[in-house]
Amino acid sequence: MSDTASRNPNGAAQMLADALLRTVAGAEATLKVTGSNPGTDQSQLGLVATTFAEVVVSPVVLRRLKPDWNEGGQSKWELLVSATGVQQAVDVFDVDSAKSLFAMTMAVTVAGQDYLIESIAANEAVGSVYLYRLLLREAGGEAV
Amino acid sequence: MGMQNAKDSFYVALRGRLAAINPERTVLLRAVVRPGIVVEEAEAPFAQLPPDVFVLRWLGLGYDPDLPSALVAEEAEIVYSTLGTQSFGGLDRGRALTEMDRELVAMLTPLQTPKLNYTATPAAAMLTNVFWDEPVFGSVVALRDRLTRSVRVVVYSYEESGE
Repeated sequence: MSDTASRNPNGAAQMLADALLRTVAGAEATLKVTGSNPGTDQSQLGLVATTFAEVVVSPVVLRRLKPDWNEGGQSKWELLVSATGVQQAVDVFDVDSAKSLFAMTMAVTVAGQDYLIESIAANEAVGSVYLYRLLLREAGGEAV
Repeated sequence: MGMQNAKDSFYVALRGRLAAINPERTVLLRAVVRPGIVVEEAEAPFAQLPPDVFVLRWLGLGYDPDLPSALVAEEAEIVYSTLGTQSFGGLDRGRALTEMDRELVAMLTPLQTPKLNYTATPAAAMLTNVFWDEPVFGSVVALRDRLTRSVRVVVYSYEESGE
């Protein structure tokens, strides 16, 4: 059964999420977004470096997930990102959605460390996203 | 010991053949739509293999210097997976995988292609061909609604001067 209660979106959830993120850390993350790719043989063979554009999103909070003890395994991290910050980045790159933006993101940099995106989840209230949760893995310097 | 030109030529040959066999099989990667085959080591790491796309990765390496020209062999693994189509609710995933099997066999035929040097622009033809064995198909791995198959091919190339 659908929820027919009348609740107009007023941005309260977004403002609350932003306030909480700023309160607990208020850090910023840099998304390395792939630029225009010439689509040549060389670019598909690793002969030409793809171009990046960087965009800063904030506020964000990075937290380490419960470590597991697999030999050689890498730590996993969760990045909590403000939806309003992501929307600004979406507008900068003129892409149709946050999903497209994250699909084009090759790495996320927080405090000088690069991370790769493993998966993305979004928290919604009253039909609009107020927080993105990115599951990240540490990248070696050569990975990006 | 140089195998890079052979690896590049193998990929570009398969990509060109795929575009002719099934032009509809494409992938949007780094803001470009291209035939649905990618070299894993030349792209950003995948959190999960993209469905309905052939992913080429390179594994073992062999070298036989006891010939007039040294023979280099490298094992290629081509991995592909599918979830079927949304309009069928994924119930056609077996048929989709069979279609990819067929396309892969067609891509690998004939079992050779000219070797080119792609560090030059335009790519420069070399003196020998790259050639490969018949593919060895692995069993289908079913993980929930995703069917995945791995196919292995040994690719050979004679080493030329400068490689």
